[in-house]
Amino acid sequence: MRTIDTQTALWMAVTFILFPVLALLGITMRTVQAGGLEAMAGWFYPLMTLHGVGMVGVWYVAAMGCAASVLARHVAPSPLIGRIALAGTVIGVLMLLACVLLGRFAAGWYFLYPLPLHGEWPLWSAVLFLASLTVLGATWLVWSLDLLRAIAARFTLAQALGWHYLRGQTEPVLPPSLLIVTVSLIAGIAALVSAVIVIVLFALELLTGTSSDALLMKNLTFFFGHTLVNLSMYLGVALAYEILPDYAGRPWKTNPVVVVSWNTVLAIVLLAYLHHLYMDFAQPGGLQYLGQVASYASALPAAIVTIFGALLLVYRATMRWNLASILLFAGLAGWAIGGIGAVIDSTISANTRLHNTLWVPAHFHTYMLAGLVFLIAGYFAHLARPAATADASPRRDRTIALLLVGGAYGFFAMFYLAGAWSIPRRFAAYPAELAHGATTAGIAAAFATLFLAGFLYYALDTVRQWRTATRTD
Amino acid sequence: MRTAWPGLLLTLLLTLAPDAPGHADTGFGIGGGQALPDIRLELGDGSNALLSELAGQQPLLLTFFYRRCTGVCTPFLSLLHDATARVGGAGSDYHILALSFDEADTLQDLRSQAAALGLADTAGWSFATTTPAQLRLITGALGFEARPAAQPGQFDHAALLAAVRQGQLIDRMTMAAGRSDLRRLHALVRELRGEFIPVLPRPGRMALGCFRFDARTGLILPDWGLLLLAAPALGSLGALALLFVRSGPPR
Ligand code: HEM
Ligand SMILES: [Cu+2]
Repeated sequence: MRTIDTQTALWMAVTFILFPVLALLGITMRTVQAGGLEAMAGWFYPLMTLHGVGMVGVWYVAAMGCAASVLARHVAPSPLIGRIALAGTVIGVLMLLACVLLGRFAAGWYFLYPLPLHGEWPLWSAVLFLASLTVLGATWLVWSLDLLRAIAARFTLAQALGWHYLRGQTEPVLPPSLLIVTVSLIAGIAALVSAVIVIVLFALELLTGTSSDALLMKNLTFFFGHTLVNLSMYLGVALAYEILPDYAGRPWKTNPVVVVSWNTVLAIVLLAYLHHLYMDFAQPGGLQYLGQVASYASALPAAIVTIFGALLLVYRATMRWNLASILLFAGLAGWAIGGIGAVIDSTISANTRLHNTLWVPAHFHTYMLAGLVFLIAGYFAHLARPAATADASPRRDRTIALLLVGGAYGFFAMFYLAGAWSIPRRFAAYPAELAHGATTAGIAAAFATLFLAGFLYYALDTVRQWRTATRTD
Repeated sequence: MRTAWPGLLLTLLLTLAPDAPGHADTGFGIGGGQALPDIRLELGDGSNALLSELAGQQPLLLTFFYRRCTGVCTPFLSLLHDATARVGGAGSDYHILALSFDEADTLQDLRSQAAALGLADTAGWSFATTTPAQLRLITGALGFEARPAAQPGQFDHAALLAAVRQGQLIDRMTMAAGRSDLRRLHALVRELRGEFIPVLPRPGRMALGCFRFDARTGLILPDWGLLLLAAPALGSLGALALLFVRSGPPR
């Protein structure tokens, strides 16, 4: 029953191909910061842009692909729209590659207005970048709408949000994964609409010369960017709810506490992005405080409920540990650890210190790499490794897990350390006063290489296991 | 601090003179902003002063006018008078200099212009003339242009207001005849008075703003663009309504 359908296999292929390349860009950046690879120094910002947009995009589509595959167990997403999503994503990525590699577009992953129109790169590369975003945004919007449509075919909105559990009913049964995916898709549509508005305003300036309000653009851009990343994470968490019970041998069911926590997320998550504007003095103070409150309220309840739920699930269970369950569990832990770093950074008094230091990449890499990437890698491993495979090797699983976890946390530790030392983010070369930034960068590059080796080992092993399994089926 | 000027001028003379334009053998100002030439002024009461001496330690608002102007000069000066009266601080926090750019203006003209505006004895206001050579220095530095107009004795020119602190140009605005940008004028005066101005209107066409800065009151007010921030959530709600209502009763 657990063989991978073609579509999920294709998303897995996209992930396994693009992620190592983008990770290599990351290692290159760390090496440049350490003072090596001098020839690449001029490429730092284009690579940073490609790495940032690419990673966010790849793991968003991977999470959506996995969510679609989970949904397919309960409802019926359209296979055609699934194929369109894949095609649109590939086209968008090719355009993105062209604008960065040929046009050296380098406005950073959130391309803050008006920088894209005023950089050293040619205007066409900025236009191509916006066009690529348009293709990706439109594709993903259609995809999100279709997945919601599939849910709507089976549940009312109130049921899909689990409100009947609050009245003590348990019928119709709503798996927690479905609740989380519903919440994420609703937020995702809002994020994508915001992207559309940003692109329209950029186009207005390009076509008519009408400039935009930089503060409004920044609000809209982070509405899109923050929310998209945030909900990718939630989609990953939904995978843990769906799969971990298989390994614990017990169900992980929806209950009123789970419903309340994820509905809180839905109510608040669209306001959390405001923490990206703490340094914008033109933004009124009330919105800044709202940003801090919303950051806490959208992160803490769902995280606490999930982590306790996962611990209770595993506690005294006859847990079957293999690569899939280890990665899913490590993924939840990475989410929690990175989340603590994020909550610290979203506290205004701490943000005045940490803003734009390496603390920021430290926490978001923790929950993206050791959170989302681990959760999705765990899900792929789960799909590829049928329970009774003769090929199972606890030793190999442990080696892979050790490389991934050890490499990742060593890499993060250098970011955290440098951030606490006030090393700024987005510096291609550190001046003499920040020489310790270069030292930590070198160590980080080594750890990241270990991680990448672990990931390649994992990917090859997963593909091999999957092929063995499909052959013997 | 007044005594520091000669030394400072000497230093500047040595550092700036070789590449300064024209006869700019003196300039004043320290730090990164554009330093203005320290021209010699003849004031309405017949006394002489250097630009640097006029305001002493105070920041300076500098504008140009001529007595016989039938265009923007008098309206602009009275707008400026009004703005400084509202914002307050003229004479204590900053000084205002109206400099004539018409060689035909006499000391009597300066006095009658001040009197016409009700500024004859107002603290903080000075009306002055200078020599053509010195005038060219300061108008050149500020980018102020006046061309003889078709009507005899008249000039084509815009109104210019420059904010100067420690001899450096920190902000400037121009106002064409018939278009009064009071917001900007007030903001400039407040800024010079040492207030932190977080939002300044940008010249040129702009689509939608999310907040508006009212320079008269110093308040930040919501603007129409703020509604755009609600659009994503509304779009999402709309999509939900379509998807879940249209799909009919689930089985
Ligand atoms: C082995 C894996 C990875 C390595 C070595 C790596 C390395 C880096 C480095 C060196 C930077 C620049 C830091 C600076 O500002 O100085 C960076 C930025 C970034 N990374 Fe990664 N990263 C990795 C994985 C990921 C993943 C999995 C994601 C997201 C899912 C991600 C998203 C980003 C983003 C969004 C930025 C910010 C780009 C910008 O500032 O515009 N990275 N990464
Ligand atoms: Cu005039």
